[in-house]
Amino acid sequence: MGEQHRNLARKLVTALQRKDGDRKRRPVHTFGTGASGHFIPSPVAAGFCDAEHFRSPTPATIRFSNGSGSAVRRDGWSDVRGMATRFHLSDNKATDLIGMTLPVFFTPDGESFLKFAIEARPRPCQRATPWQKFRDMLRLTPPVPDPYDGETISPDAGAIAFAHQHDYARAGVFQAATIGAPQSYARAAYHAVHSFVATGADGTQRWVRFSWQPVSGVLTTDPEKDPVIDDYLQAELARRLRNGPALFSLMMQVGEVGDDFNDPTRAWPPHRVRIMMGTLYVEKMLDDVTTEKLSFNPHLLTRGIAPSDDPVLWVRKSAYEVSSGRRRGTPCPFHGER
Amino acid sequence: MQRKAGWLDKFVDDLPSQGWFQFLSRHLVVPYWIWRDPKPVLPGGPRPSVQPSESVQRMMNLIMPLKDPSPIGRARAALAISQNVDEIFAGLDNVGTVHNARFLLLDGNICMLSVYDGDFSNYIRDFIATIGSVFDAVMKEVEGGDAMVPTTEHIEEFIDWVCAHDLFQAPDIATDLFNLQDAAKGIAPGSLPHDLRLLPRELILQLHSNPNISLGGGYRAYPGYSAAQVRQKFGVGW
Ligand code: HEM
Repeated sequence: MGEQHRNLARKLVTALQRKDGDRKRRPVHTFGTGASGHFIPSPVAAGFCDAEHFRSPTPATIRFSNGSGSAVRRDGWSDVRGMATRFHLSDNKATDLIGMTLPVFFTPDGESFLKFAIEARPRPCQRATPWQKFRDMLRLTPPVPDPYDGETISPDAGAIAFAHQHDYARAGVFQAATIGAPQSYARAAYHAVHSFVATGADGTQRWVRFSWQPVSGVLTTDPEKDPVIDDYLQAELARRLRNGPALFSLMMQVGEVGDDFNDPTRAWPPHRVRIMMGTLYVEKMLDDVTTEKLSFNPHLLTRGIAPSDDPVLWVRKSAYEVSSGRRRGTPCPFHGER
Repeated sequence: MQRKAGWLDKFVDDLPSQGWFQFLSRHLVVPYWIWRDPKPVLPGGPRPSVQPSESVQRMMNLIMPLKDPSPIGRARAALAISQNVDEIFAGLDNVGTVHNARFLLLDGNICMLSVYDGDFSNYIRDFIATIGSVFDAVMKEVEGGDAMVPTTEHIEEFIDWVCAHDLFQAPDIATDLFNLQDAAKGIAPGSLPHDLRLLPRELILQLHSNPNISLGGGYRAYPGYSAAQVRQKFGVGW
């Protein structure tokens, strides 16, 4: 199983590498902004999950990122964003929670994601011709948006063609295509997507999914207006933190029998019980060198939180380790494990 | 290298904001597609589910066209409600599965919006048993309502009528519309490929068949709990 995952993981990391990317950086979520802070659990959190950070205040390291793997930073372009959080527990232990602004993933397992990654490889993109646009309008289909200034390749056409054939990819691709750009990393909601098994203080086990909700609310830029500058998110966060911490509420959805526990392409309906697990205070910016060396892993869990059987979650364990090794990051928590 | 935008690009990009093009779209393009690709009317109310949190805090959005939409007719409908306040509260207290209910006069309609727990037909049945007289008063003001008065004697027809006037609840996940449309045509969900780029058209055509809809299944601040659990937790009876 382990070696099989590693083989697939190597192929995945290679497939994700864009030709306009930088091999010394992450193949996706290439540009990041780091910060430190701390997490204060809510008074009810430990009842639902007995993990250490839900029992007592915990220092945290956070890396916000743009999803793209291009080596040019384009904060204003429509793109999925990431928020990786490491909770620093006692005895030098840690646990990670990795979220993104999409609530679902594109495929249900690693093999299908490999196909997706190959099919959605960025390809040359052009402004649609007036005739194509006119035809789309007559078909009541919104014309394909014009590429941004400087955008020569894009994964969109390949991703949409993939979703045409694979219904599981529809929700993710549709939302990714219309996601926009946040005004601030502190004004986006991030979802950890996979299901985990949380054990409460009384031993009760529940299927759960986590999301970070920004206390200052979600706000995207105006999609009608061309982005003014490529790089604004880092400076915005630094400015914001000078005036006080940026806060996120950690919400936990509780799944029910009949929900998809192992399929990250299916969101649970918004009617599930939601528990407020605590508040993250993002306080201080980190320097870029420290931030870019960090190696997160969605499998770095702790007593009280266990992984589901979601195959995507499992292949990520190896994929992040392979990737961190290739870019010579701080060794992944699973480095050397067989 | 990107192709530069010429005058024709700008002209076409600007079309959706041009009055004449909007007129053309509304009166020619949309009717053409309605004719080419008609959509079945999608049924109202929450979709069946056996999952616990789906069976609590369900929404009813009942839109009932008034026989007389003039201010006089609307005033009569308003009176039908205001003269029955005691009956309504007695019903709420006795049925016990309702979180809230309200009535609106909206253009030529009287609307009953409520949030309830449990099965839809049981909810209506319980309500008729306890506040049949209120429904009777309302039905007298509503198109096609006379045939169902007294509602206590026309329970099944009344339930069907309510179902037909309860708004379709658009899926919480936009792309699920494809599956709902397929299911209404007897096609197994997920068995046909669908071009994502056509989703906006599918919605436009669906809005022709279901002109009034609920945008999603509602946003709940404390999802997953029934009215009975809330009352029990606060120790306020039952
Ligand atoms: C099979 C599925 C996936 C694969 C193969 C994959 C692959 C990768 C790789 C190779 C990296 C760079 C890791 C590094 O060098 O440290 C990465 C980063 C990241 N991925 Fe994924 N990913 C997958 C699914 C997901 C999902 C489901 C999410 C959201 C919950 C996600 C969110 C992120 C984020 C936020 C980062 C940046 C982490 C950081 O700041 O260091 N990925 N991914």
